[in-house]
Amino acid sequence: MIRIERNPAPSAATLALSYVGACVMGFAISALLIAATGYDPAEAFGAIWQGAVGSQTAMIGSLVKATPLILTGLAAAIAFRARLWSIGQEGQVYAGAMAGWCAVLLVPDAPALLLIPLALIFGAAGGAGLGAVAAGLRTRYGVNEIISTVMLNYIIVYLLSWLLSGGAWGEVGATVSYQQSPPAPEAAQLPNFDDRGRLHLGFAIALAASLACAALIARTPLGFEIRALGGNGEALRRRGVDVGRLTLVVMALSGALAGLAGIGEVLGVTDRLRGDELYGLGYAGVVIGLIAGLRPIGVLVAGLFFGGLANGAVFMSVLSDAPAALAQAIQGVLLISILCGGVAARTRLRRTVAHVG
Amino acid sequence: MTGALMEARGLTRRFGSVTALDGVDFDLKPGEIHCLFGENGAGKSTLASILAGVIAPDDGALAVGGGPRRYGSPADAIADGVGMVHQHFALVEAFTVLENLMVGLPGRGWRPDRAGLAVRARALAEDLGIALDPAARVSTLSVGERQWIEILKSLMEAGRILILDEPTAVLTPEESRRLFAMLDGLKRRGLGIVLVSHKLVEVMQSDRVTVLRRGRKVATLATADTDPGTLTRMMIGASPPPEGTQAPRAAGAVVVETRALTSAESAGGVPARDVSLTIRAGEIVGVAGVAGNGQAALFDMLAGALAPASGEIVIDGARVSPVSPTEMMRRGVRCIPEDRFRQGLVGEMSISENLMLGRHRAAPFRRGPFVDYGAADRVAANVIDAFRIATTGPQARAASLSGGNAQKVLLAREMAPGGRVLLANQPTRGLDVGVVATVHAALRAKRDEGAAVLLASEELDDLLALCDRILVMFRGRVMAAMSARDADVERIGALMAGRQPEAAA
Repeated sequence: MIRIERNPAPSAATLALSYVGACVMGFAISALLIAATGYDPAEAFGAIWQGAVGSQTAMIGSLVKATPLILTGLAAAIAFRARLWSIGQEGQVYAGAMAGWCAVLLVPDAPALLLIPLALIFGAAGGAGLGAVAAGLRTRYGVNEIISTVMLNYIIVYLLSWLLSGGAWGEVGATVSYQQSPPAPEAAQLPNFDDRGRLHLGFAIALAASLACAALIARTPLGFEIRALGGNGEALRRRGVDVGRLTLVVMALSGALAGLAGIGEVLGVTDRLRGDELYGLGYAGVVIGLIAGLRPIGVLVAGLFFGGLANGAVFMSVLSDAPAALAQAIQGVLLISILCGGVAARTRLRRTVAHVG
Repeated sequence: MTGALMEARGLTRRFGSVTALDGVDFDLKPGEIHCLFGENGAGKSTLASILAGVIAPDDGALAVGGGPRRYGSPADAIADGVGMVHQHFALVEAFTVLENLMVGLPGRGWRPDRAGLAVRARALAEDLGIALDPAARVSTLSVGERQWIEILKSLMEAGRILILDEPTAVLTPEESRRLFAMLDGLKRRGLGIVLVSHKLVEVMQSDRVTVLRRGRKVATLATADTDPGTLTRMMIGASPPPEGTQAPRAAGAVVVETRALTSAESAGGVPARDVSLTIRAGEIVGVAGVAGNGQAALFDMLAGALAPASGEIVIDGARVSPVSPTEMMRRGVRCIPEDRFRQGLVGEMSISENLMLGRHRAAPFRRGPFVDYGAADRVAANVIDAFRIATTGPQARAASLSGGNAQKVLLAREMAPGGRVLLANQPTRGLDVGVVATVHAALRAKRDEGAAVLLASEELDDLLALCDRILVMFRGRVMAAMSARDADVERIGALMAGRQPEAAA
C-alpha cells in the first residue's frame, strides 16, 4: 500500500523539479487541447513563443503585460501571508485607477512632475482605502474578509461603469456598451523607457515593489508580525501586538499595491479610464500569488511568465487563426498544472506494507 | 516468551532526522497493567501508537497472540482486539454517547443496529460501574465522562488489549481513582493494559514498567521490585535537580489587585465571578481548583486577553484601562498560557522567532529598521543550552517540539527581564518530573527577583511546595483563601469539589 504524507519543508531541488514537471505537463495537456480543436500545436506554441519573447517588441510587450500582474500578485501574497484571505485586489485595481483619475481631474493642467506623483499617490491611496474598509469590517464587526472584499469588488466595478456610461466621467457620446473617459492630458502619461512598446514607469515600480516586499517579509518587524499573524494570531495578540491595527496595515498595504496596478494601466497603457482594460487583473493576482507560494520574488517570476503568456496569446490569435479563447484555455491549464506542482512538492509518497496477518 | 498477548522486537521509528524509537522490545501478558514511563519525547507515545497500528514502524517485528503482525491502520489493530484511548479525545461533540460509540464500529453496513448497541453499551457500562446515559450529547459531558466514552468505545471495538495514552492528564483526582479501579476490574478479566504515563503515582499502581529514555528502552521491571526514586533516576538518567528551599521572606508591596473582577457569561467556558485578590512583590499566590472552574477567564483577564464584564484590575496602584494584552505587556505582565500551542507559540515559526515574539521591536532584536535574526538565533542558542531543550537548533520549528520542550521555550520568553508579574495557568500539565522541576525553579527564581507570581494548578503538591498563599476556585468563585503554611489538603479538596467544610472557621 502506498500512503500520501505531507512534506512541510521540501528541498529547493524538489520544488524546482515539481514546477518544471508541472509546466511540461501543462504544455502537454495544452497541446492535446489545441490538437483536439483542429489546430497544429507546434504552430500555436511557436506563435506564442514568438509573441512572448520572439523580438524586442514582443519582450517589451510581455513586460508591460506582466506589470499589473506582478503588483496584484504581491498584493495577494502580502495579505495571504498574514492569513487574511482578501480577494479584493480586483476592486482595489479599479479603486486605484479611479482615485488616480481623480487626481488628474483635480489638477489637469499641472506639469508632469507634479501630476504623475500625485496620481500615483492617489491611486495607491484609493486601493489602500478599499482594503482598509474590509479590514475595519473584519476587526470591528467580525465580517469575513472573503465576503466583504468580493462584495466591495462588485460595488466598485459597477460604480466605475456608472460613472463612465451615464455619470460625470464618460466621454461625450459614451454609451452603456462603450464606456470610456476622455483621454488623459499628455502630462499625466507615465514616462516610457522605450517609445515603441511603451515600457512605462509602472514596470520599474513593480520591480521595486517585488524587492521591497521581499525585504519587508524577510527582514522587518512588520514582516515578522505579518508571518506571526498568519501562523498564530492568538499568540501574537497575547504578546501585546495590536492585531486589529496590524490587520488594517496589511490590508491597506495590499490594497495600495493593487491600486498602483490600476493607475499604472490607466496612465501607462490606455491613457484614459476604461473598465474593460482593468478587468480580471486582480483575480489573476490571486492566482499568481498562490502559484508563487506567497513569496514576493516568486510573484515576480510568475508575473513575468504569465505576462509573456498573455502577450504571446495575443500574437497567436493574430498569426495563426486559432481563436483567442484557446489562448485563455491554455493559460487556465497552465495555472492548474503549476498549482498541482506546488501541491505535489509538498507531499510525498511512502510505501507501507499491507496487513499480512 | 510464550503466553504473551503482544510481543514486539526491535521496534524503530524515525521522523526525519530524529529517531523517536530505537530498537525497543516490549511484551504484554494477559491480566497485567504494563506502564510505559519516560520523559516527554522519550518515545512512549510513539511506541503506543505503533502497538495500536496508528503509525507503522520503520523496523522491527510485532506479534499479537503469537502471530506476526504488520498493521496498516488502527482498523487492523482493532480487528485483532487492540484498542487505544488517545490523549486527545476524538469524539464528535454534537453526537450522543451512543452515536459516538457507533462511529467506526466495523461490519455494521449502512444501517447500524442502534438498539442492540445501546443494550450492549449499557451492559458494559454497568459492568464497569460507570454511570453513562447513552442518549446524552457529548458536548454536555465533563472531560472525565468523555474519557469513559473513549474507554467504552475501545472495549467494544477491541476487547483484548487496551492502550491508554496519559489517561489521567485531564481527570480530577477522584476520577483518576475511579479509572484505576476500573482498570483493575478489566485486568482481572484477563485484558492486557498498556498505560502511558509520566506520573509516578500511577506507575506504582502497575504490574510492570518499561522505562524509556530518548527513544531507547532503559529497562523493564516488576513494579513491586522497584521504587519511585529508582524509576526517576532511570527516566532522566541522573538524580533529579533538588527542590529549592522555601526561606521565609518579607512580602513586598501589592503589585496586582483585582476588585470584584467578573467576566461575561457569554465568553465561553466557566466565567470568573466576583474575584478580588492581591498579589505582592516577591510572593507566589496559588489558585487551587479543578481546571475549568473559571481559572482560564481569570488569567485571561489579567493577561488582557479577555475584557472584564465588570470589576477592575489595579497594577501598581493604577487602574488598568483599557484591559488589553498590549496594555498588560506594557505594565510588565507576562503570561505562560494554559494552551501552549494555541495561545503561546507560533508553530510554523522557529524557536528563535518564538522567543522574540512580542519583543521583536526592541533591543537586542532590532538593528536599524530591520529585525536582527542573527541576534535572535544567539539568544535562542543560549536558551536551548540553559534550559536543556531537546531540539536540532534555534531554527527548529516550534511545532516540532514535545510538550515539555515547548513549555521551556515559553518559560524562557516570559521570564525574560522586564516582567514584574508572572501568570502561569496549569504550567506543569502533561509534563514529566524533569520539566516540572524546571518550571518550579523558574517560578521561584522570578519570585526571588521580586516579581508577583500567580500560579493555578490542579496538582496540590505543586501549590503546597511553591506558594505563599492559596486560593481555591470553584465554579468561577474564590471559595477561600489561606496561607500555604496552614493549608490542609483535606479542606482544599473539599473546597475544590464545592463543599464548604463546616468546621472551617
